[in-house]
Amino acid sequence: MKTTNESDEGVVFRKSLGHYSVRIDGQEIDCELSSRLHKELIYHTSASLKHKVQSIREVDKADPVAVGDRVRFVDAGTGRGMITEILPRRSKLSRPLPVPGQRVFEQVIVANADQVLTVFAASSPSPKWGLLDRYLVTAEAAGLPSRIVITKMDLATQNKSLEQDLEIYRRIGYPIHLVCSSTGEGREELKQALHGVMSVLVGKSGVGKTSLMNALQPGLGLRVKEVSQGDIGKGRHTTSHLQMFDLDFGGRLVDTPGMREFGLWDISPEDLASLFPELAPHIGQCKFGLSCRHDNEPGCAIRKAVMAEQVSPYRYQSYLRLREEL
Amino acid sequence: MRNHHASSFGDFRCGNCGALVSSMQTQSGVNNRNHCPYCLWSCHLDLYSSGDRLSACKAKMIPVGLTMKKSRNKYQISPRGELMLVHVCTDCESVSINRIAADDDPKTILEVFRNSLNFCLHNEDEISILRNEDMVIEQLFGMRIPA
Ligand SMILES: Nc1nc2c(ncn2[C@@H]2O[C@H](COP(=O)(O)OP(=O)(O)OP(=O)(O)O)[C@@H](O)[C@H]2O)c(=O)[nH]1
Ligand SMILES: [Mg+2]
Ligand SMILES: [Zn+2]
Ligand SMILES: [Zn+2]
Ligand SMILES: [Zn+2]
Repeated sequence: MKTTNESDEGVVFRKSLGHYSVRIDGQEIDCELSSRLHKELIYHTSASLKHKVQSIREVDKADPVAVGDRVRFVDAGTGRGMITEILPRRSKLSRPLPVPGQRVFEQVIVANADQVLTVFAASSPSPKWGLLDRYLVTAEAAGLPSRIVITKMDLATQNKSLEQDLEIYRRIGYPIHLVCSSTGEGREELKQALHGVMSVLVGKSGVGKTSLMNALQPGLGLRVKEVSQGDIGKGRHTTSHLQMFDLDFGGRLVDTPGMREFGLWDISPEDLASLFPELAPHIGQCKFGLSCRHDNEPGCAIRKAVMAEQVSPYRYQSYLRLREEL
Repeated sequence: MRNHHASSFGDFRCGNCGALVSSMQTQSGVNNRNHCPYCLWSCHLDLYSSGDRLSACKAKMIPVGLTMKKSRNKYQISPRGELMLVHVCTDCESVSINRIAADDDPKTILEVFRNSLNFCLHNEDEISILRNEDMVIEQLFGMRIPA
């Protein structure tokens, strides 16, 4: 076993099957996982699996290292290294990753983030607020603050209900950024919000996450979806790998590929209401106290709050839909 | 396990008579089934529009009468429009107008109509409750009953 004084500490900026880009002092080291970490992992996730080949695939399914992880690694020289230890995480943003024929694994999307930027386009594709609620709940469960970023504001006239819909979230207290990557609208305010912290972009494919990164830091020159009629907001993903970038103005930003499936990981049905900030104050006020599911129980304080227009019926419906999943 | 009575989506158990009601469109002929085909009671599930399932009230809704909805559908058989059920929420008193489903019991509909003759809805200027029995019978059974 390696001792810590032989190893360096770096941060994982990128990863692809079995390889991790670890950054230390502005230099990138291409690392693999130590066999000890491998074994630990295989033991952890698939005691039942017998074949080594399958086990390696397993590593890919439930990778113990996430982008954003602080790791210890042994520098092998010539830009290569071996990760020997994953340091404790400050936070982790997770989702379930179902593997056909096996159980569901936890996929840590990003480790040690400070905030989540949920990205939706004003139009093309039009926002799915139910998905936003999913992201917000996931962030709340991770203990991370969220910001709502609406891109493609140049197309806002195509979405008549945008302002009204956003008002729901403004009232709850989520900060909202209206931006346009082509005109630069909202860019400076967003930069301020990103300054000095590590942020992660989440949003469906085609909403303009990568375009936004390029607009925030023109030097990045990341590949975005080519403009083609009918194609926008659908189908193929342009960004295929999760990747973290250092921002010139201070801070770090993680670009993610559009995630089609976004389930809730490790959230109990009883805890769900507490992850909706506007429902939280009503918990425990119901006739059936903490055992209330807030569906159709008599004397439910949350339903009463919805009826009194203190809580948006759309948010309440999201709560019920998510609850059915848990 | 999902509790049928508690569910806001899909099949449900009638809060009034206890019958298990299928939300399958093929059985009812309507897209959003809120009321029980046997007793015609409903549940306050919709808020802004039929089928939105955005209401947090969820109390029982009593069928109070019938009304005619002017039909915009050119294939509609009746030139007068479509016979609709009027429900009032037993809790928040909101009123809703609902399409009659193919499997709703016509005798119970007639019963609702006859009961409705005995009282007034407080916002009857907004919704015109049918008062003409011949017309209701014609709509329900497709014929006039001789006096
Ligand atoms: N009109 C308009 N189009 C934009 C804007 N920002 C991005 N787009 C277009 O939206 C499309 C998708 O942009 P991307 O940045 O690749 O989207 P993404 O969210 O990174 O997508 P994935 O990488 O697949 O997850 C591209 O055709 C962009 O040109 C904007 O502000 N206004
Ligand atoms: Mg992208
Ligand atoms: Zn409750
Ligand atoms: Zn019934
Ligand atoms: Zn009601």
